[in-house]
Amino acid sequence: MERQESSENGRESNEGISVKEENILNFLDSVDGYLILMDSLSSTLRQGWLELASARHSMGASRINSTLFDHKLHPASTTLQVNEQSAGPDRELPHFTLCKWASSNNPEKYFEEAKFGEDELLKKSNSLRHRDISHNSGNVCFPTFRFDCLGKMTRDQGFDLEALGSISMRVLKPVTNPLEMVVEISNMRASLLCAYDQVQKDMETATK
Amino acid sequence: MYGFEAMTFNIHGGYLEAIVRGCRSGLLTASDYNNLCQCETLEDIKMHLSATEYGPYLQNEPSPLHTTTIVEKCTLKLVDEYKHMLTQATEPLSTFLEFITYGHMIDNVVLIVTGTLHERDVQELLEKCHPLGMFDSIATLAVAQNMRELYRLVLVDTPLAPYFSECITSEDLDDMNIEIMRNTLYKAYLEDFYRFCQKLGGATAEIMSDILAFEADRRAVNITINSIGTELTRDDRRKLYSNFGLLYPYGHEELAVCEDIDQVRSVMEKYPPYQSIFSKLSYGESQMLDKAFYEEEVKRLCLAFEQQFHYGVFFAYMRLREQEIRNMMWISECVAQNQKSRVHDSVVFIF
Repeated sequence: MERQESSENGRESNEGISVKEENILNFLDSVDGYLILMDSLSSTLRQGWLELASARHSMGASRINSTLFDHKLHPASTTLQVNEQSAGPDRELPHFTLCKWASSNNPEKYFEEAKFGEDELLKKSNSLRHRDISHNSGNVCFPTFRFDCLGKMTRDQGFDLEALGSISMRVLKPVTNPLEMVVEISNMRASLLCAYDQVQKDMETATK
Repeated sequence: MYGFEAMTFNIHGGYLEAIVRGCRSGLLTASDYNNLCQCETLEDIKMHLSATEYGPYLQNEPSPLHTTTIVEKCTLKLVDEYKHMLTQATEPLSTFLEFITYGHMIDNVVLIVTGTLHERDVQELLEKCHPLGMFDSIATLAVAQNMRELYRLVLVDTPLAPYFSECITSEDLDDMNIEIMRNTLYKAYLEDFYRFCQKLGGATAEIMSDILAFEADRRAVNITINSIGTELTRDDRRKLYSNFGLLYPYGHEELAVCEDIDQVRSVMEKYPPYQSIFSKLSYGESQMLDKAFYEEEVKRLCLAFEQQFHYGVFFAYMRLREQEIRNMMWISECVAQNQKSRVHDSVVFIF
């Protein structure tokens, strides 16, 4: 009898240990994934800076400089959605999703957002210079890059012509990967923190 | 008459030709570039440049040095040399020297207009303008609402006024129209410069025709490649090509309908001077095209110094200095960003 109880206790403690080890392994995996993503982001950004210098070298400093950035208010072409996902009985894990403009999966949403952007732009713009949008049938052209859900530039009107001479598509590729990487890092960090919480709880339970 | 410049050129142009040939000997050599490419920091670059003609311009710059500071000081040296030559020049050399700066003037006009459109401060924009392209009323560009006003208020009194006839519309200035305006102005400028050189005749006409034709052809290729996949129509693209050059007119007709880089390649390979450029590129690649064009340009500019008694040496010197400044900029950026493995990607050796 005593042997049975001790074997049952042993089995339970073995299972408890394996669950704890699993939590620690999850935590270490999360840390590893996080560090790999950070390294990858750092490398991509480094490459981006050199590409920018290459564009400036090719096209001249007067054409590639900070004046290309618009100080006027624009609706964001890329937004971040934060959802809560269940990660256990008492836990919720934040999940980040990148929503890009001109999603081919949701053309109605694109036009709604574009119309919203157009209205906001007309209200907020104080400059007498404005783009003639009357013939654009609701599609608003912004001097920003626009991407489809695959992260590739779309052939939206307005942007493409701006690429003629203003920014050479040959020498300055759009920086889409870092945005996706940052979101991935955020999700990885959330799961890392969740795994760390779990490991901490296990340690507290063990000390008690 | 061609061939008799030796008898009369030195009366008005001899001193300045000697000056510009002396300045040419101050251009950085391959060994200078090799030393610069091995620098670890921007301070090392400054130290190496202290032994060159850039030394006096950089010696008082405080640490930490920035890449834009190096470019700015190198450009200042070029501007000083140019101004010295301009003040000493008589007609028609003075007009020729002024023509060299009109390209920078166009870039400055577009910079001011674009920056104002993006609600940037005028003073900030003026600081970014190229010094060779400055003119008195440049700050007034910020008040113009459309191209008509741009012309009427500011540009009518500048050398760019004749180039605006094709641009004047009442359309609002926006990013699209500004780019079309830039390319149209530059086309008109190149054609006017070409006509002026043809009128000068002699060795100047011969040498400058070759250099300007290459410039026009390079622009045509760049406009074609950059407009592939955009809404620019074939007719609009064709209108931006200059009306001279090796590619004019049949090459332009073929380039106007190109839909990808390989079609551009097949058009250009029909012209022997450009076969060597495109043979260096692999299919579908265009990143190295700029460097290939720069190398070809430098070759032609260096050849201008092989002949005497013409104005082409002045243009060639200015362009070679600008190439040198581009090299300095690239080397500085690679050193500052710790990317020395890429330093030879874009450096074009002059000698």
